[in-house]
Amino acid sequence: MPALAERLSRVSVSASVIMTIKARELAAQGIKVISLASGEPDFPSPPHAIEAAHQAALAGDTKYPPQDGTRRLKEAVQRKFKRDNNLDYALDEIMVTNGGKQSIFNAFMATIDPGDEVLIPAPFWISYAEMAKVAGGVPVTINCPQNNGFKLRPEDLDAAITPKTKWVMLNFPNNPTGAACSRAEMQAIAAVLMKHPHVWIMTDDMYEHLIYDGFEFCTIADVEPRLKDRTLTVNGASKTYAMTGWRIGFCGGPKALIKGMMNMQGQATAGVSTISQAAVAAALDGPQDLVRERAEEYRQRRDLVVEMLNAAPGISCHKPEGAFYVFPNIAGCIGKTSKGGRKIETDSDFAMALLEEKYVATVQGTAYGMSPYLRISYATNTENLREACGRIQEFCRELS
Amino acid sequence: MKLIADRLDRISPSLTIAMTAKARALKAAGKDVIGLSSGEPDFDTPRNVKDAAIAAIERGETKYTDVAGTTELRKAICTKFKRDSGIDYTPEEILVATGGKQVIFDALVATINPGDEAIIPAPCWVSYPDIVALAEGTPVIVQCGQNAGFKMTGEQLEAAITPKTKWLILNNPCNPTGAAYNAAELKALTDVLMRHPHVWIFTDDIYEKLAYDGFKPATVLEVEPRLKDRTVTMNGCSKAYAMTGWRIGFAGAPISLIKAMDKLQSQSTSNTSSVSQAAAVEALTGPQESIEDMRKVYERRRNMVVDMLNAAPGLRCHKPEGAFYVFPDMRGCIGKTTAGGKKIETDEDFTIALLEEAGVATVHGAAFLSPGHFRISYATSDAALSEACTRIQKFCAGMK
Repeated sequence: MPALAERLSRVSVSASVIMTIKARELAAQGIKVISLASGEPDFPSPPHAIEAAHQAALAGDTKYPPQDGTRRLKEAVQRKFKRDNNLDYALDEIMVTNGGKQSIFNAFMATIDPGDEVLIPAPFWISYAEMAKVAGGVPVTINCPQNNGFKLRPEDLDAAITPKTKWVMLNFPNNPTGAACSRAEMQAIAAVLMKHPHVWIMTDDMYEHLIYDGFEFCTIADVEPRLKDRTLTVNGASKTYAMTGWRIGFCGGPKALIKGMMNMQGQATAGVSTISQAAVAAALDGPQDLVRERAEEYRQRRDLVVEMLNAAPGISCHKPEGAFYVFPNIAGCIGKTSKGGRKIETDSDFAMALLEEKYVATVQGTAYGMSPYLRISYATNTENLREACGRIQEFCRELS
Repeated sequence: MKLIADRLDRISPSLTIAMTAKARALKAAGKDVIGLSSGEPDFDTPRNVKDAAIAAIERGETKYTDVAGTTELRKAICTKFKRDSGIDYTPEEILVATGGKQVIFDALVATINPGDEAIIPAPCWVSYPDIVALAEGTPVIVQCGQNAGFKMTGEQLEAAITPKTKWLILNNPCNPTGAAYNAAELKALTDVLMRHPHVWIFTDDIYEKLAYDGFKPATVLEVEPRLKDRTVTMNGCSKAYAMTGWRIGFAGAPISLIKAMDKLQSQSTSNTSSVSQAAAVEALTGPQESIEDMRKVYERRRNMVVDMLNAAPGLRCHKPEGAFYVFPDMRGCIGKTTAGGKKIETDEDFTIALLEEAGVATVHGAAFLSPGHFRISYATSDAALSEACTRIQKFCAGMK
């Protein structure tokens, strides 16, 4: 085996993937494992999207797509940005990618030279940092503590920006905390960025439609239109329409950036599956009632989970505005010993003992850059959630 | 701070895309253009494959899969490698990617450090050197002329290997020449490789099924199984099953390399569309008759195109063993002037004048690192091919 490329040795395998695999191994032994580790909606894809996929296959829409996406889907994305975000993007300012992940990968690979810094508010989806590293960049995290609702404070952002800052990542509603930003909060962030014209902004709005209690989503290029010419707005079909397996992400941004990203994607994968593109065009243009109905279902689950977790000794769970995650603090459990005799020194110890003793899979906060926390995905049915939270309560009660 | 990273400057702009764009513009302006520039089967995806995709959607196979692909598809790929080439791979030695292109990207970006060399026989698909350059490696181009049937000899390979050689990239049958290696020809190369244990081999066998006159293209591990611990055997569904738009490529390789490729892919796109993966299972394991039906048609077209091109003054067209391309030598036209008054100094002048004056879109040889030729794809109807070749004959006959 030749030594792997240096760039790859900087990259680690995602902890949520490791937990999911571990949970699957236990399940394969016949154990009833409840997984709260995966960031994937449990709902089916919308029927009109499925129908559009059928039609596309039968009609022979099975040829190489343009590298930046089919015209049909790009027009649907254009309408979506206008309808949901009040953003006007021309067709050459839009591109379609294999999942939202590839939008971010393309942007980093197309723009980051060695040593460029990427500012990432923490806790954060670990892939942001890993992708920045693959591209030779330096991830720099900005702590967003629980006592501020896991939100980015403008003064912290301002202090973190250096002459080497190339990108700032924004992800609200956030994976893993569920925290979202109000318009006023976003305006304060935008005001900082207006002072630093060399900084580019990437906003990952994947959880846009999963937001509760009347909280209103906003995105930075709409809140501060003067930032639009250095903002990449990333979104996709996975979370909103429960279409993870179809692998469709998309983004809007300045033409020069999109062109560079297209060059990058042209070398990595070329175009995206035509069948998936047809399905997502239908999802974006079709009736949106399902999205609202599901958001209401998620809200009920969130309320259930937050309440039950707060009843577990040693856990303190913030109630977030959106996404389908909660990020409970487990500081009260550290230093104790589980019923099975495992010493809990870290959140990794907690997550592993919880999986091995109570068969509930979660992901440790350290995988998202903040300890001692757990990430719990409530994208599973109420019965499972109730059972899982009951097991967590029991696990905590039995700590000594 | 400039926006675009240095790595993108290392990639040459795609000349194929430039030609396609020009042809599209002429067509849009109402000109009668016959396109012979695209490397895509004109057949539709087989019905059984489409039905399998639809059935998978109905079963709800629309969720994330393992990054490396579903177990079912990886098993089907093992079956395919065993059945077609006698190679034993386990599912852990298989990775599924978004098109063959991503397999190349994953393998090269995961392994190449700055200054590592990759030997590429030319004429070649330009994505190989581009991806090598993107990964900061050095493409080492070995010219294999028409007189050698566009094939590399053992001596040429031996002379090109240095201590810095990391990869040899083979493409059998080849885009753009259609040249293919049988077992005896390949043995000459594998004998050299056995003497240089530091060299890894990437073999792109995507055109495997398209070979004529009873020719059997061989793959490296069929010929020399002892190279298995340093060979990537790449294949896909695009060409054999007319599934370009579905974006399914795959590879068999040693586990350590597959793991590294999996890690990189987990940070760029994750899994390939679950629906496309289900379609690929049916393509690989269902009835295979459609391949032979398509192959026969391609063979008839190849014979017609080669005969007609050799009747054009100034052209000399080698009859290749496979793929759906021919790569005629046009140097007999250099120095002449077209009927439209254009002086032909290069292969690019030739293809542009051919497009503008005769309405036939092809790609010039420099786009495949072999000037003095042009590429014709015969993956289009017999009628269109016959008309296009007649136009080429007239175009050449009209030169002075």
